[in-house]
Amino acid sequence: MVENYDTDDTFLARWLGGTLSEEERLSFEKTDVYKQLRIINRESQLLEGPIIDVDAALKIVKQKINTKKQKPKVIRLWYAVTAAAIIIVSLSMFLNASKTYTTGIGEKMSVTLEDGSVIDLNANSSLSHKRFFWTANKEVNFTGEGYFTITKSKGFSVNTSKGKVEVLGTVFNIKDRTHFELKCYEGKINFVSNKTSPDSYILTKGMQIKIEDKEIKEDTFVEQRPDWKTGVSKFVEQPLSKVLEELTHIYPITFQMNTIDANRIFTGSFKHNNLNDALQTTLTPMGVTYQKASNGNVIILSE
Amino acid sequence: MIEKEPSICEEENYNQLFRKYYESVTKYIYYKCGSLEQAEDIVQNAFVKLWQLCATISFSKAKSYIYKACNNLFLNEVKHQKVVLKHQQTVVKKTNNESPEFLIEVDEFRSKLKNAINQLSVKEREVFLLSRVEQKTYKEIAEITGLTVKAIERRMSKALRELRDALGGEIRI
Repeated sequence: MVENYDTDDTFLARWLGGTLSEEERLSFEKTDVYKQLRIINRESQLLEGPIIDVDAALKIVKQKINTKKQKPKVIRLWYAVTAAAIIIVSLSMFLNASKTYTTGIGEKMSVTLEDGSVIDLNANSSLSHKRFFWTANKEVNFTGEGYFTITKSKGFSVNTSKGKVEVLGTVFNIKDRTHFELKCYEGKINFVSNKTSPDSYILTKGMQIKIEDKEIKEDTFVEQRPDWKTGVSKFVEQPLSKVLEELTHIYPITFQMNTIDANRIFTGSFKHNNLNDALQTTLTPMGVTYQKASNGNVIILSE
Repeated sequence: MIEKEPSICEEENYNQLFRKYYESVTKYIYYKCGSLEQAEDIVQNAFVKLWQLCATISFSKAKSYIYKACNNLFLNEVKHQKVVLKHQQTVVKKTNNESPEFLIEVDEFRSKLKNAINQLSVKEREVFLLSRVEQKTYKEIAEITGLTVKAIERRMSKALRELRDALGGEIRI
């Protein structure tokens, strides 16, 4: 008779594992092989494995780690993370890079944007916009004074310190200095103030808003284009302080006020092409005497 | 959100893994190579590597990584030498060395048993000792060695047949 344990190559293992069928087990237990293996199994289970000192081994491993370079993989991973971060940052900087146009004191500049809109910058002004994909979101940031001739299109807007001017094909002038002044010369614009509760003003041709001391005033005007475009600054019943501020934007000068009352009202104009003429036409009628300091840039005022 | 696994790079977690697996994996390698010193060396090097790769191995994969790494190191380093197992038999049931079961003295039988185990091939010996000495189930051994339960059962059966061939003659029936 051929025994199971000879033909079935997992039989003996299943016997030890206790997974033989009752019938298989009973017939196997009658054999001599069973009697021998029972003893071999019992004796084998009396054997013991080696004694291992885990704590000592852990100490040895820590020593081995410290003699080798620490965590080289982690460092390499950090290199990769850093490199990826640099790429992402520089890419976003590249894509977010802005183009800025700035005029200094007395300078004027005309900027033509990608969509054909033209912005004339008055002195001491700055215009910036995204360098790439600007047409996807036609937004420009602006400070100073500028005359905007915007090609008819959707979504052009100008961010100023006082709020946002939203445009739909139009011509307007922004003056964002100590005081804010927005004049619409053609078409229609929407001004959204950036005060905490934004007010919205729609301006059409001949309408203007002024912001003085946070107060927004609506008004009308008649001129066809801003005076500064013709190289003149005009004032109608404006405080002297405004006139002086305007002078410092056009000419590289500062004023030493002393005891001068800057609130006196001025009506008149000055030209942008001659400092001496400008000083004379503004200060002399007001009864203010002036004197250039030795370096020529400081104008000392007195009654 | 998926709960994050503990990082092996944290020393605390690493130590935990070490204490959990060092002993059993060292025994496993010892049963293969027969030299405790060599086995400890292999396992320690695998644990050093685990630390170096701590950022790339997840906590739950650490066990299988350690077993695999040790096995690879064993295959690379050990030229299959004959094994000298130094098992201690602490359980002595009878003070008298005579036993009616054996045709020889108990001590002599036990020494022959060790010898016969040492003569087994590596494949059979590791399975036999993990099963009989470490009391691991066939399923656990299959996980450790990366084989199927069926293959483990075959190796175990073969080991038993060979041990019977070697020792059967010494047992009184």
